[in-house]
Amino acid sequence: MLSKALIEDVLNEALSTGGDFAEVFVEDKLNTGLLMIGGKIESTMSGRDFGVGIRIFKGTNSVYAYTNKATRDNLLDVARKAAAAINGERKDIVINLMKNDIVNNHKIVIPVGNVEKLKKVDLMRRAYNVAKNYDDVISQVTVRYGDSEQNVLIANTEGVFVEDKRVRTRTMIQTIASKDGEMQSGFYGPGAHMGFEFYDKINIEEYAKEAARIAKTMIDAEYCPSGKMPVIIDNGFGGVIFHEACGHGLEATSVAKGTSVFAGKIGEKVASELVTAIDDGTIPNEWGSQNIDDEGTPTRKNVLIENGILKGYMIDKLNGRRMGMDSTGSARRQSYKYAPTSRMTNTYIANGESTKEEIIANTEYGLYAKYMGGGSVNPATGEFNFSVMEGYIVRNGKIEKPVRGATLIGKGLEVLKKIDMVGNNLDLGQGMCGSVSGTVAANVGQPTIRVSSMTVGGRKGE
Amino acid sequence: MDRREFMKKLFEKGKQAGMKEMEIYFQDSDNFDIKVFKGEIDNYSISNEIGVSFRGLYNGKMGYSYTEKIDETSIDILIKEAVENASVIDSDDEENIQPPSENYKEVNNYNNSLNKVTPEEKINFIKSVEKEAFKLDNRVISVQHCIFGEESAHTMLVNTKELDLEEKSNIAYAYVSVMVKEGEDVKTGGSYIISNDFSKFDAKKLAKEAVDEAVSMLGAKSIESNEYPIVLRNDVAANLLEAFVPIFSAENVQKDLSLLKGKIDKQIGNSIITVVDDPFMKNGVASASFDGEGVSTKYKKVIDKGILKTYLHNTKTAKKDGVESTGNAYKPSYKSPVSIAPTNMYIEKGNITFNEIIESIDKGLLIINIQGLHAGLNTVSGDFSLSAYGYLIENGKIDRPVNQITIAGNFFELLKDIEMIGDDLRFTLPGGSGYIGSPTLKIKKLAVSGD
Repeated sequence: MLSKALIEDVLNEALSTGGDFAEVFVEDKLNTGLLMIGGKIESTMSGRDFGVGIRIFKGTNSVYAYTNKATRDNLLDVARKAAAAINGERKDIVINLMKNDIVNNHKIVIPVGNVEKLKKVDLMRRAYNVAKNYDDVISQVTVRYGDSEQNVLIANTEGVFVEDKRVRTRTMIQTIASKDGEMQSGFYGPGAHMGFEFYDKINIEEYAKEAARIAKTMIDAEYCPSGKMPVIIDNGFGGVIFHEACGHGLEATSVAKGTSVFAGKIGEKVASELVTAIDDGTIPNEWGSQNIDDEGTPTRKNVLIENGILKGYMIDKLNGRRMGMDSTGSARRQSYKYAPTSRMTNTYIANGESTKEEIIANTEYGLYAKYMGGGSVNPATGEFNFSVMEGYIVRNGKIEKPVRGATLIGKGLEVLKKIDMVGNNLDLGQGMCGSVSGTVAANVGQPTIRVSSMTVGGRKGE
Repeated sequence: MDRREFMKKLFEKGKQAGMKEMEIYFQDSDNFDIKVFKGEIDNYSISNEIGVSFRGLYNGKMGYSYTEKIDETSIDILIKEAVENASVIDSDDEENIQPPSENYKEVNNYNNSLNKVTPEEKINFIKSVEKEAFKLDNRVISVQHCIFGEESAHTMLVNTKELDLEEKSNIAYAYVSVMVKEGEDVKTGGSYIISNDFSKFDAKKLAKEAVDEAVSMLGAKSIESNEYPIVLRNDVAANLLEAFVPIFSAENVQKDLSLLKGKIDKQIGNSIITVVDDPFMKNGVASASFDGEGVSTKYKKVIDKGILKTYLHNTKTAKKDGVESTGNAYKPSYKSPVSIAPTNMYIEKGNITFNEIIESIDKGLLIINIQGLHAGLNTVSGDFSLSAYGYLIENGKIDRPVNQITIAGNFFELLKDIEMIGDDLRFTLPGGSGYIGSPTLKIKKLAVSGD
């Protein structure tokens, strides 16, 4: 994408005022987005993102600059402007870029760019038809299709010089059920770091049916009772509880500055011993996977919590400097417009030994959250919140009735300790995760788990 | 490549490819951000970026494409993609390239004096915010975020129907959040300012707001689950309104995604509430003389004394409803097709002071922060259930901090349950679609979940 000689010159210019590390990130990405409402393609967009980011460190100070103009003159000019933010004398650093060929763990069979748009539309139509015809109560269905092919080149003054290609595809199905002047919605959005062959591996109709079933179930549901109660959170996207409640607090972005509740707690018991939690960017073709992170470090499997003991954090280069620790291959960014920082990839709670049936049968009264919406957290206090898309009241060990409008709140450290049952049915779910370096594709996952007590926000006292 | 030349070639080649009418939209911006941590510049970013959006009519359908690279190769990509994209559209809605409107009201959203402030002055300002925060209270243990940023943007919209418009704007913001600790109790508080007038940036005030808020939350605990009268502080009310903005979009109404369908000229809120969309507001971040389609913008009351007066329209939805566009076509970025969004939208202020609102409550809650807006609410049903914190009000006075609660209700019911409107209109940080403001609101009751 850029010649080695030019990159070396840019890196040299970046170090001219005393920086001790410089990096170049080049991105060329093709995006496609299609929107279908009511069975008709309403709008379509496709195009090309292109830009170059230049980053300089001096100790733990960092400077970031980016531009869309990749001419030699402009790149040198941007590097010079970025360097101007650092006041010092040039250090003696020799740049020796060696092209590293990386092992591709995420094989692509059918590149998304080679697939005609009409084929993508057909896929959306299949999803639409199944969801719309699921039941008369389904009044509207929106299907969004998106794919992207992101080519990156990363080079730095430590000699890293690598290229990677990330192909992602996702289809999101939103359903609306209407009844007596009210509306409720359901959602399912499968995605992968894969080419169009993804849709041969999954049955899109099954997902569409699920999305419709959720909306239909919720339109007939009563408002959720509020207060403290045991909460069973189902597998797959239920893992968003760990993502929000704990995952963000384990990112070096907040740990390095001491603004996370998990800072300084390595080796300590932070969770119930039933909890083992992992962030793994290497799982072949998973939504949050990639060969290398956005600083060029190979991704890896990072054990965060093992049998309740805090084992590690997710670390990028800059925060690694602050913490005196190495990168864990966790640096990510939405695009060249963001400096990278530590982020999650595919984060999940590992399998335990209970079955889902046992967990429900062992619960006298509580909330069963079958599908979760999204959530957020304040890493400093650990206070999180997330919404329940499809929930049920469990009474006497049996699922009693659906309830709507539930929100779960709590503190990360407390909820981790209160996990008292962990299932054996680990599954992953796809989401988009927003933080300081933008919005990135992230998987969450878990088996069915039970938290012995949580605050459930609803609208009804009981 | 010069952009006029790029445009000319693009339109020529588009015509050869069979496109009838075409439009190009340039958006370029210069950004500058500084983050400070423990007295040092922790991050310093500068950038200049450009994006080009293209759209054109091909066989009666609108095809869109975009690029961030202005060169010869991009012209072919833009046309190929737009033609392909138009070919798969099967919506019956007609979308058109617009001729110029008859009159454009002048809007001045560019403050040249901001450029005269040197980077050093800006760095010193944001450093002093951090310093002030530590000085104000020894329980401040960390200033998590201390950021100054500014952006100047230039947009240009040109089409084959002789429309040729340009607009320039600039804006600066500062945001600070602090962490305080007493014993094992940790709390955070934040504050922001947004303006293109640097003289309004007051380091002391910014630091004090954040520290006061964090300190005031120390010792917070939950409250018994029940229904309570609720005061939504101005910024919180603005956040809530912002999250529900999609209900006013005519597109959502037409696609059966808004419960406001069929409600024009009907009472949807208490008669004390009026909601305005004002593209000409002085110091409005979203002020503009033309919208995303080049149509002149218009001042309008969306809700007048509780009565829904209009949806927000672009030309496509307006044509379908047989009305005129309200000038609310919106391009969130050059990467997006034209959609709909408000400009500067706010609940008109009342004449009751904040203190009078508090004094009117025997037992209730003042909410100063809500979280989970992107997930804990449903713009279709209007239901929300959000993590929140604030203070207990007892006998007309603020009593103690409250956290670990949720407030739940329905936005459509809430509009009817607004009992008092404060005189303290404030705008929230722009979240991408419009600049949204509200005064403090007293709500009859909401369900609160706690202990």
